[in-house]
Amino acid sequence: MSTHSHFVIIGSGGAGSEAALIIRKRDPKCTITQITGSKLPFISRYELPRVFDGVDNWRDLLAHPPEFYDDNAITVRRNSWVDHVDAKNKKVLLRHKEEVSYDKLLVASGGGGYLPEGLREFRPLMNGLGSYEDAVKMRQALPSKGHVIMLGGDMTGLDLARTLVAVGHKVTLVAGEQLFWPHEVEEKKEKKFVTVLEAMGVKVVLGKKVMAIRKGAKGEPARRVVFDDGGGINGDAVMPFCGLMPALDFMIGANVDIERGLLVNPELKTTNDSIWAAGDVCQIWSPEENSYLFYYGWHHIKEMGEIAAINMTGGKKKISTYQDDHLYINKQGDIDSPYWMYR
Amino acid sequence: MQRNGKKATDLQIAICGSAGDGTIAAGDMVKRAMARAGYKVIAFDVYPPEIRGFGKCISRVRVTSEQVFSLKPKSDVLISLDDSHAIPHVGEVKDYGAVIYEDMPVTMVPEGGHISGHLLSSHLPYGVPFRELSERVTSSARSRNIAVVGYLAGLYGMPRDVFYAVISDKFKTKPAVLTKMSIQTFDAAFEVGENTFRLDEGVLKPPPKKAKHGELVMMSGNGAIAKGCMDAGLDTFFGYPITPATTIMERLAVDLPKQGKRMLQTEDEISAISAAIGAGYTGARAATATSGPGFALMSEMMGLGTMAEVPVVIFVSQRGGPSTGMPTKTEQSDLNIAVFGAAGDGQRIVLAPTNVEGCYKCAGKAFEIAERYQTPVVVLLDLYLSNRYEAVALPAKNPFAANCSKPVGKLGKDQPYHRYALTRDFISPRAIPGDKGRRHAVTGLEHDENGRPNDHTHEMMSRKRHEKLHSVVRYPGITMSKRFGDKGKVDVAIIGWGSTFGEILEAMIIARDEGIRCAAMKVVLLSPLPMEPINALLADAAEVLVPELNYEGQFANLLTGTTGRAVTRLNRVPGTPMHVEDIVDEIRRLAAKKKGRKALAAE
Ligand SMILES: Cc1cc2nc3c(=O)[nH]c(=O)nc-3n(C[C@H](O)[C@H](O)[C@H](O)COP(=O)(O)OP(=O)(O)OC[C@H]3O[C@@H](n4cnc5c(N)ncnc54)[C@H](O)[C@@H]3O)c2cc1C
Repeated sequence: MSTHSHFVIIGSGGAGSEAALIIRKRDPKCTITQITGSKLPFISRYELPRVFDGVDNWRDLLAHPPEFYDDNAITVRRNSWVDHVDAKNKKVLLRHKEEVSYDKLLVASGGGGYLPEGLREFRPLMNGLGSYEDAVKMRQALPSKGHVIMLGGDMTGLDLARTLVAVGHKVTLVAGEQLFWPHEVEEKKEKKFVTVLEAMGVKVVLGKKVMAIRKGAKGEPARRVVFDDGGGINGDAVMPFCGLMPALDFMIGANVDIERGLLVNPELKTTNDSIWAAGDVCQIWSPEENSYLFYYGWHHIKEMGEIAAINMTGGKKKISTYQDDHLYINKQGDIDSPYWMYR
Repeated sequence: MQRNGKKATDLQIAICGSAGDGTIAAGDMVKRAMARAGYKVIAFDVYPPEIRGFGKCISRVRVTSEQVFSLKPKSDVLISLDDSHAIPHVGEVKDYGAVIYEDMPVTMVPEGGHISGHLLSSHLPYGVPFRELSERVTSSARSRNIAVVGYLAGLYGMPRDVFYAVISDKFKTKPAVLTKMSIQTFDAAFEVGENTFRLDEGVLKPPPKKAKHGELVMMSGNGAIAKGCMDAGLDTFFGYPITPATTIMERLAVDLPKQGKRMLQTEDEISAISAAIGAGYTGARAATATSGPGFALMSEMMGLGTMAEVPVVIFVSQRGGPSTGMPTKTEQSDLNIAVFGAAGDGQRIVLAPTNVEGCYKCAGKAFEIAERYQTPVVVLLDLYLSNRYEAVALPAKNPFAANCSKPVGKLGKDQPYHRYALTRDFISPRAIPGDKGRRHAVTGLEHDENGRPNDHTHEMMSRKRHEKLHSVVRYPGITMSKRFGDKGKVDVAIIGWGSTFGEILEAMIIARDEGIRCAAMKVVLLSPLPMEPINALLADAAEVLVPELNYEGQFANLLTGTTGRAVTRLNRVPGTPMHVEDIVDEIRRLAAKKKGRKALAAE
């Protein structure tokens, strides 16, 4: 198929980038514009822990060299934030007051780290890991053999934890409700996984509620995490890993259905005929479960990008809405997950 | 730029906006501050093509730790003060360079009108709310250009104090509150820049050494010309405005009256040169400045200067021609008219400085030489050199001599004074009107030694007018030509003149780093040519390359005509400076050609 349509993709993460490539392959003449808040070309977020493992230059983390986008005639508008989508007039409004018209729109804006309400006021004292810049700032904040306190314990955090331990840092995990998220682990299995995690070098603190995060006293490490029982621990940095929150504020008022994520059918189309969604931002209808579900992890993200692209360019493909991802212990005796099989 | 395997400071910043955005002023602050901090600085501003109106302005500043001789074809940083103007220049930002722009415009931007949509995939974007920053501090967006400078300084860790000094200097004649608010705007933006995570690959290391204030002065080519004129004791200046020479006149209009002297804007270029020659006749140090079209009008009077042997200095800043041509684009296409452009056999002296410091030297020395040889001296500049800024180290002592005329000396009783007396060096002792007992006539007619019209003297007087110029090649205190690079035999010699010599020198350095044996020569004295050093270089060179910004190869023609040696020409007329890479490519090609010949001979 070949059109002169303008495909606009919001987001340059795994889902959006895969979609752009597939659209180009299927429609050589169309115009493709990716709009992203990111300053850098696509760096897979799964690769960010490598910053702690000696990778010093962002160019070493790029999924594709800059020429790739020129070769495939994909315009990536970086450092540009979408503020609103005017679905009626098929326009995307950028924060810097420019409208971009589209024929077909893919929302692949992913999500940001979720922060439970009680922790939000302490945000300035915590380090995130949403971007390359975050990762470098975090690395700079850490002395050699530094001590990182992680809150929550989702799979993204645990991925980083194993890298940090491997390069000589100390990690203490104050486990929260999101331990092992997005996996749902039965209580009796959880204990076993925690034991393995400790054997992997991560100290796990269970059953404590975080009340506050403070700056460390003079001569002490830079941060102190205070528990509800009055106790606490000191560390050089605090990082929350409490699951994801879809990034879709800009879709409010765009005349599409939203629950926690953008609601899409198994073909990844939203309730608007010109708008599709893929990646962490969408919740897909699962006939098996009779509800809308999130599908996380590298292989899902890539597949969603591909399927959305196929359907946006006239194809008809459904995503498998059967979920079988589970946590397990690998041959080396470490915790492992399909979620981590990206390298 | 690599030095000892390490990246040394080499950051080229291009600021692009509309006239009225303070674009040139922002570039000016950056170049002055960086020179104060002790960096080497070279800068070039481009103004709107229309003389009036809100056209495009670009200020380019290259900051280095080592001396460089030209701007780079690609900048490390592009700052947009007006996206409609800056978008066409996005392609001149190098890979992994930075593009800095306003990300909070006041009004809606038309689709495709924001620069963020035009960046290449290898560029790093920095969107900054400059307008908001400026308004927050000053309640107005007018200091947006200072916010831009502050952000840039913060982003690259430039020293703050030098900017404070430059801002204070800039507003010293304005109410103190303006300086205060400007510094506050600078600081607010500096903090934003300082806290921005830098992803681009521009390199700015701490300055090599802290320069003492005043040691290096940022000057444009035209500024240096004006300074040279003043230091040489210019008495009077006549001119008619024309881009890119006008700023010489503007500067002198301010500086001359401070010494009780006069600048007069005449009704056209013919009047300007006529008046300047008239003043020269009376013994004053007089000059005019113009560009190609104005110079064409002056050629008749230039002939008078030559024939009547009256000293006068003409500064000619070349632009794209012929006719009105490209008033705001650079070119080196007035060499022919400077050297040959007058009726009759009218050889004259032509000097062409190659950098800003050279402008200062040539300007001052031109007056000495004009007096010494009693003839018009043309100082050939071009738009690129006139508008280019460099950090110049001015001599502590004024290097120019007053009255260099050959004195008349004592005349015997009843011995008449002959204004055009024939002497061994063909230079006549010079008196000026009013000198007691030295009454004489000057004329544009051919004349005898006494100045009386006479056709029979034409052969003798023509010889006098030509022969007297020969010794100018050895005139003290000025470099008439200079060889750089490898000594002895070379594979390639590059000979150049005027502003292009900066690019030639850079190209030669690159080629030598690649192992090519080569030398470069700048020729400052274009008429008469310094034949000895030129011939010596030609004898050493297997191949000779002459890069210049004109279509015909005017200097190449001059060289071939005088030496008989065939040369390879590299001619470009894009209206912009020559690309170093183009010259390097040509050097490589010629070096390979020489190697090929050697190999063939060996076979
Ligand atoms: C440190 C880290 C480690 C991880 N490790 C793993 C792992 O091991 N395995 C795994 O499967 N998953 C992992 N994840 C999760 C994984 O990164 C996500 O599932 C995946 O990146 C989602 O891809 P996406 O394309 O949906 O969105 P994202 O990769 O989040 O990309 C979203 C894009 O949208 C842009 N965007 C958002 N809002 C706007 C807006 N308003 N305007 C313009 N652009 C916008 C963003 O700039 C970004 O480019 C990790 C995440 C992190 C942060």
